[in-house]
Amino acid sequence: MLEFFVDPILRAPTIGSMLMGLASGLIGCLAFLQKRSLVGEALSHAAYPGVVLGLVIAAAFFPGGISAAILVGAFLSGLLGLFVIHQMEKRLKIASDAALCFVLSVFFGVGVCIASGLQISHALWLQKIQVFLLGEAATMMDGHIFLYGGLTLACVLSVISLFRFLEILHFDPEYAKAVNLPSKAVHTILYILLMVAIVVGMRSVGVVLMSSMLIAPPSAARQWTTKFSSFLILSGALGLLSGFLGNALSVWSLAPLPTGPMIALVATAICLFSLFFAPERGFLPKLIRVTHFQLRCKQENILKALYKKRTINPNPYLLWRMRTKGWIKGEKLTPEGYSQAEKLVRLHRLWEVYLVHMGQESDRVHHSAEEMEHILTPEIEIQLQALLDNPTQDPHQQPIPGVSR
Amino acid sequence: MNPFHNADFFSFFALFFSRLFSWKSLAPDEIQFYVLSLIAIASSLIGTLLVLKRMTMLANSLSHTVLLGIVGAYLLLSNTGSLGPLTFQVLIVAALITGIITTLLTQLLHKVVKLQEDASIGIVFTSLFALGIVLVTLYTRNAHIGLEIIMGNADALHFNDLKVSLGVAVANACVLILFFKEWKLICFDQGLASSLNFRPSLFNNLLMLLTSATAISAFRAVGVILFLALLVGPPLTARLLTSNLRKLLVLSCAIGITSALLAIATARHILTVYSLPLSTAGLVVTYIGAFFLLALCVRNLTFRKISA
Amino acid sequence: MTVVCVEQLSVHYDKTPVLWEVDFEIPVGLIVGLVGPNGAGKSTLLKTFIGLLRPISGGCTFFGKPYKEVQKKVAYVPQRTSVDWNFPIHVLDVVLMGLYGKRGPLKWIRKEDRALAKQALDRVGMLPFASRQISELSGGQQQRVFLARALLQDADLLLMDEPFAGVDMATEKALMEVFVQLKEEGKTLVIVHHDLTTVKNHFDWVILLNSCLIDCGPVAEVFTEENLKKAYGSAAYLVTETKKLTRSKTSGV
Repeated sequence: MLEFFVDPILRAPTIGSMLMGLASGLIGCLAFLQKRSLVGEALSHAAYPGVVLGLVIAAAFFPGGISAAILVGAFLSGLLGLFVIHQMEKRLKIASDAALCFVLSVFFGVGVCIASGLQISHALWLQKIQVFLLGEAATMMDGHIFLYGGLTLACVLSVISLFRFLEILHFDPEYAKAVNLPSKAVHTILYILLMVAIVVGMRSVGVVLMSSMLIAPPSAARQWTTKFSSFLILSGALGLLSGFLGNALSVWSLAPLPTGPMIALVATAICLFSLFFAPERGFLPKLIRVTHFQLRCKQENILKALYKKRTINPNPYLLWRMRTKGWIKGEKLTPEGYSQAEKLVRLHRLWEVYLVHMGQESDRVHHSAEEMEHILTPEIEIQLQALLDNPTQDPHQQPIPGVSR
Repeated sequence: MNPFHNADFFSFFALFFSRLFSWKSLAPDEIQFYVLSLIAIASSLIGTLLVLKRMTMLANSLSHTVLLGIVGAYLLLSNTGSLGPLTFQVLIVAALITGIITTLLTQLLHKVVKLQEDASIGIVFTSLFALGIVLVTLYTRNAHIGLEIIMGNADALHFNDLKVSLGVAVANACVLILFFKEWKLICFDQGLASSLNFRPSLFNNLLMLLTSATAISAFRAVGVILFLALLVGPPLTARLLTSNLRKLLVLSCAIGITSALLAIATARHILTVYSLPLSTAGLVVTYIGAFFLLALCVRNLTFRKISA
Repeated sequence: MTVVCVEQLSVHYDKTPVLWEVDFEIPVGLIVGLVGPNGAGKSTLLKTFIGLLRPISGGCTFFGKPYKEVQKKVAYVPQRTSVDWNFPIHVLDVVLMGLYGKRGPLKWIRKEDRALAKQALDRVGMLPFASRQISELSGGQQQRVFLARALLQDADLLLMDEPFAGVDMATEKALMEVFVQLKEEGKTLVIVHHDLTTVKNHFDWVILLNSCLIDCGPVAEVFTEENLKKAYGSAAYLVTETKKLTRSKTSGV
């Protein structure tokens, strides 16, 4: 593992991919929160003609600065794409998805067109350009790391210094308006940061798959936290991890594979894991909670039946669970079980009184009460009793247990 | 011997139109033109519906995931280690696989796992495309195949592609014309469409299927990303010039076909005069962008005239 | 004759119980207002009527039959904001959509149909706009076009979702005039409405809804302070709370 950071051939690609992951994971959060994640997809493709022109101009006039020229070209081209998208949406009233797709494909096509001219005469140049399509971290040098490191640092510092603004802008836009927050300026800075992140990431993950690094880490991070600062940090960390692992996998793999797809697949895997398994918001924990609730409802129904001394044929597994909860001993109710059953019946009948109060027919309220008795909380119970003036009887003239006048 | 060899821009057109009715065997340039035009027609027709329904990002998603569909179809249907000529069988199987997987996964992420819609679309297509690239690079043992898939190779088109693109264009045109008023209603007002039992979901699935098929027919010629330009560019350009849906459809097709013709002529010209082999697909998209700018100017001028 | 009969209708939307055992009947020839706070399930009720949403339990019939059998007799006018008004289509074409249900698939629009559409436009005062682009219309004009389309459907029951939202006074008056004409022709109108101040002027009957049915009947009887307190007051807060709780329990949050 350590050789990735020490070996002179491996360390630049490794660190470069990690920087890319950090920058895109961090900045991707901001587009994610605005539900505009796909802008990154359009802008990364829009950066391609800038890559081509940057390389051509630099290779012709100042060969020493090719890397820098490519970055500058990509950055400017992306900003032009952003400008066109904005104009299409605001002036021409074109729907935002169509504007994004248009800029994405047309800019990319222009880039392909120009690059194709180099096929025969400057094949080496073309190779250098095509590195940016699907990513090829292996060609990174130490010099690149300083460049990307500087840009990533700029991103991180910008986000830190704008943190308060961003928090208000995303979570309380009305307050932002009320205090005259310079939201337009902040949005412009965010889009610039997005372009910087894309420019940092182009070489490791490529322009075609760049959007996966802008979308997957934030989607994953969102599953683990609701605090804004944690969200940003976790997303950056997951991006960093994806960059490292993806690069490592493409080094270890036996066939020569471009790095972009490997990094994208790792990032997606992490995201899918988070979507399904994160303890609070993950799909599987939610499913387990729902099943628990449904089992609990069944058990509570058995409790009620025992309380009302009705004959039932209960599932032995459910009975076992009720015994472990201390609700029954053998097949008889314990004191806890009794008071729990009483609570259920009380909530049921309170709810029936409430529905009749709201205008339902008394013979129609049973079904809803059957469901609500498992759901009403003690706080709501107090509010119900207050609203209905502590009723002692339900609409069917049955007593409501445990309500004192 | 290609009769268009050494032709420049104007002699290209002279030669092209003189050969139009002579029924001689088709030169590569002419095959390119017919295939690209048919793809342009098929894409403009479907693209207009996608733009109106605001489903262009889903179309972008499909155009990336067709790669996996194609790889899957080849793995299922053939044994050779290359992406050989496209048959209708492969096309239909690939289109079905792609359409179904993409829509199912996106819906799964969005509706079941409750991820926001833009992120669902983004994750599905980037991961499936990445998977497709990995699989196809391993399958064909060609490290550069990924690039060809992204950008297409118009010079490698032959007669078989003509049959496939004709089939897709005819299918799209038939579906659009036969159900024209249904499409109009479903694109404009889903609520009323549902209440009249016009089954919007059925039409949506059909649209996704046709988009997949069109993307597959186009991927050899223009690649997956430039296909999106053919899908979205001509309808948006035509929309700047007209508000009549019929005229919009016809104008989009015309813009697509003209861009194709100009692109092939330009490619031939620049090859002859400057010896630069420009990508025909890239030129088609560049011309589409140019037409958009042109339409913008025309629109602004007419506005000024009206307000003057 | 009962036009709409709703029996113990319960509808869930996004795992939230939006309608709870709603039960009422609407007799023929009335203008009925469907009123209640946000999230009360008014639009959901209309969408369930036309089969867009499936109920968990219970059902509804129209003229004694399920919706599918009497579809041609029911016209649905969705919320104005549910449609893209930049769509490349002109007014007459929008109105002609009202005939699509009658014509069926694969059939073309005929000359007589255009004449009918123009008549409908004239009735709502929009005939001069027949060849205008819909993007050029104001909110009130858009709503009139929607009404013309519904007229063309020649239905006996009209279901309308917030036709008066975002509409100027003149249009509101014009729309009400057409509604009264329709009532005199024996049609029934069920209209989702949000403005409590105009309920007594516009409607003969009111259905007061807050997920559960509070009351249904003539305006004077139903639109009382007591009922409004139940729908909008502190009692109503419990409805929202319990809906939220149910949703979180059934989706495992």
